[in-house]
Amino acid sequence: MNLEYRGTETIPASKDAVWAFINDPASIASCMPDVLESTVVDPRTFDAVVQVAVGPVRGKFKFHVVLDPQPGGDRMNMKISGGGFGSVVDLDAGADIRADGAGTTLDWTGAASMRGPVATVGGRVIDSQAKRVISTTFANVKSKLSPATVAQPT
Amino acid sequence: MSTTTDSTPQTHSMGHSMKRKEDPRFIRGHGKYLDDFTLPGMVWMSLVHSPYPHARIVKIDKTAALAVPGVIAVLTGEDLAAHNLAWVPTFHGYDKQMVLAVGKVLYQYQEVAGVIATSREIAQDAAELVDVEYEPLDPVTNPFQSREDKIILRDDRENKTNHIYHWEVGKREETDAALAASDVTIKERIVFQRCHPAPLEPCGILADMSPNTGRLTLYLTSQAPHAHRTVVSLVTGIPEDKIHIISPDIGGGFGNKVPVYPGYVVSAAASVVLGVPVKWVETRTENLTTTGFARDYHMDVEIGASKDGRVTALKVATAADHGAFDAAADPTKYPAGLFGIVTGSYDFPTAFTELDAYFTNKAPGGVAYRCSFRVTEASFAIERGMELLARKLNMDPSELRLKNFVRKDQFPYPSPLGFVYDSGDYHLTLRKALDLIGYDDLRKEQAEKRKRGELMGIGISTFTEAVGAGPSKHFDIMGIKMFDSAEIRVHPTGSAILRAGTKSQGQGHETTWAQIAAEELGLDPQNIMVEEGDTDTAPYGLGTYASRSTPVAGAAIAMASRKIREKARKIAAHLLEAPLDDVEWTNYKFQVKGQPDNALTMQQIAFAAYTNPAPDSEPGLEATFYYDPPNLTFPYGAYIAVVDVDRETGAVKVRRFLAIDDCGTVINPMIVEGQIHGGLTEGFAIAFMQEIAYDEQGNNLNTNFTDYLVPTSLETPHWETSSTYTPSPHHPIGAKGVGESPNVGSPAAFVNAVMDALSPLGVTHIDMPLTREKVWRACRQATTA
Repeated sequence: MNLEYRGTETIPASKDAVWAFINDPASIASCMPDVLESTVVDPRTFDAVVQVAVGPVRGKFKFHVVLDPQPGGDRMNMKISGGGFGSVVDLDAGADIRADGAGTTLDWTGAASMRGPVATVGGRVIDSQAKRVISTTFANVKSKLSPATVAQPT
Repeated sequence: MSTTTDSTPQTHSMGHSMKRKEDPRFIRGHGKYLDDFTLPGMVWMSLVHSPYPHARIVKIDKTAALAVPGVIAVLTGEDLAAHNLAWVPTFHGYDKQMVLAVGKVLYQYQEVAGVIATSREIAQDAAELVDVEYEPLDPVTNPFQSREDKIILRDDRENKTNHIYHWEVGKREETDAALAASDVTIKERIVFQRCHPAPLEPCGILADMSPNTGRLTLYLTSQAPHAHRTVVSLVTGIPEDKIHIISPDIGGGFGNKVPVYPGYVVSAAASVVLGVPVKWVETRTENLTTTGFARDYHMDVEIGASKDGRVTALKVATAADHGAFDAAADPTKYPAGLFGIVTGSYDFPTAFTELDAYFTNKAPGGVAYRCSFRVTEASFAIERGMELLARKLNMDPSELRLKNFVRKDQFPYPSPLGFVYDSGDYHLTLRKALDLIGYDDLRKEQAEKRKRGELMGIGISTFTEAVGAGPSKHFDIMGIKMFDSAEIRVHPTGSAILRAGTKSQGQGHETTWAQIAAEELGLDPQNIMVEEGDTDTAPYGLGTYASRSTPVAGAAIAMASRKIREKARKIAAHLLEAPLDDVEWTNYKFQVKGQPDNALTMQQIAFAAYTNPAPDSEPGLEATFYYDPPNLTFPYGAYIAVVDVDRETGAVKVRRFLAIDDCGTVINPMIVEGQIHGGLTEGFAIAFMQEIAYDEQGNNLNTNFTDYLVPTSLETPHWETSSTYTPSPHHPIGAKGVGESPNVGSPAAFVNAVMDALSPLGVTHIDMPLTREKVWRACRQATTA
């Protein structure tokens, strides 16, 4: 089963700030929803354990995330692979980043490929779940880069 | 010529609706199924399955699983390879299949590792921790993609092609010429979708290798215990006397419990290695995703006819999707089963059929799901084809059928594709069906409704099966001839034990086998105990599937009974002090000819057999018979479905369904009716609900009963049944077998009815299952076109 998503976030921060943020594995990991634990492997890679509840498929999925910043600083690709309970999920996400006045616009796309039990429930349930994961991640990027958040170190 | 009647004779024991002897224990919940068995020291096995349909196995890491307290072992294909058990032969021996994946996986949910642990839960949890690294490969998900050979699936085979075999029968040139010369032809691709028997009890095993006796006892959900014993012996090298298979009560088989599955082999191997009993019971998802599926035939059907509706030729070319291994359950010499029955009930002057089978990245199988080896596919093809022809000729489908039926004076009828039909009166049976359902009135009602824009349809299916495999000159499985057997021992007081090589999975053998023996011996069927499924005690037989039990083992029971009766006659002559030739079996007693008062019952003879045997004769009263049938039997029927279709929602209501079956002599009418109700319900599910579908990535989309629907009493239509009776001329009691007829015959009746309803919209064919969505789309497309 293949699913595709896209969306746009306008972030009230400079393009440099956004670029620096999404190049940091720890920052990106902190934006993914339902993350139980994350481990930064190297400056481009992190592992995450995510709580998943999709129909009858419930439990912890392990994901391996590789950041692939494109030369020029205008695009970030992200490859997420993993799964659990006999299911496999591969997600190719990407974001085009451009300065937009005082802020930055982030046009993102995501293509998910699923196999195993999770694919069986796919058409009806997982579509909204996968969309939520991807959109929440980018929404959190925006949230964390908003002035109120930036001003208050966590 | 055969004789057909409207009622089956009721005699001493046959033809009576005797209540099923097995039901008291089932109704009370006291049946003993595989999962009810436990043994001291027993451990559990759970399987690890592949999420990928096609991938190389890079690495299997057992470490985390082995670290779980309670885990005893984790077995992989490499481990089995060390014992020469990584691969086992498939059903007919033409291919081999992996037990646990070696090198690469070939279908989603394929078995990759087995975890042995002290409890079921620990085994299942630890199976999640077996870390398998895969390198995904592009999958092949249908036979048409497969035949391009762009992706070769089976590296292990010498021929680097996905094509498994070509099979053909009939006269190709003659058929092509006849089609070309026909006034009218139809051609349609008709797909019988991949479906699954889905027995309520899934498959399982409890393997117990005794270090003390060196015997391997397998409690097994097996439709064919003796065949499985032989296969286990051939594969493992364990002498057959050291293998004991016990097939306990079975909660439905429908062909699904004929093959040997990886879970069986892994459990047995684990028990041999560990020296403790190992149990595996599959989950519903495992049953639907890995064990024997049915159908997946893509059939191009061509029929030619004259303008007045006389058929001239039939040609069917099929692409068969066999999945990852050629594990189709067919007799060795019949790679496409009995598909040659595709000429059906019709007298085609000539015919030709060919089939090409292909590997795909889907679960292997191709079992005879409540049918005799591809007879359902064949029946669906011809019955849909005849409906399309009737439409093209603008002729009533009943009239077209009556015009082309094999006539009763043509029996025994040699079909153009090589069968010799034994008996029947197709005209009488269809006319009875038309009369009972009020066909003419229904057509008038339909015409009225069409004027109002309402969609009502009437569908007919007049199928003929070929069952009862089979004669040893043609039928074998891995060389073992497809005879069957019965052993009867009459006890001194006139009760008896009857053992057969078959294995009931709900068919009611404990009742019907007793009725046959009681009829032949004049005994009380209540006092004949029937035992099956234990290879230590039952005579060797090929088991129960493909509607073969009554045609083959039922005949063996009658013949064993007659052997006993012949011996009893000698004892009677001794007791009656009469010459043997003067003693006759009359009215279920032995009497001196013409002297009904000078008679002895079988009970009296039985007592004498142990207390006062005839001089120079062996004491006791028992016999064994191995029956090798001279021909198949050919049950048939006329089914009519009446449906209303809601064009706004696509909902189909099956308003009426009449099934008239002719299965020859009926042993127990109640059991026959029950079989027909069950099979019709399965046929209804296949027609409207069920499909094991795969997406383009090779994901199995129907892995549980949420996605693979089983009809409940709420959805199931009301069934109307009736019969005609044409005894088989070559079967000792004239029986033909019935268990599979309704599953074979009904899908075409349902689909023909819906297509008839949609005919005002110009819709001619929709492939099953006819879901609301498909019907709605067809209506919408026709309306907006």
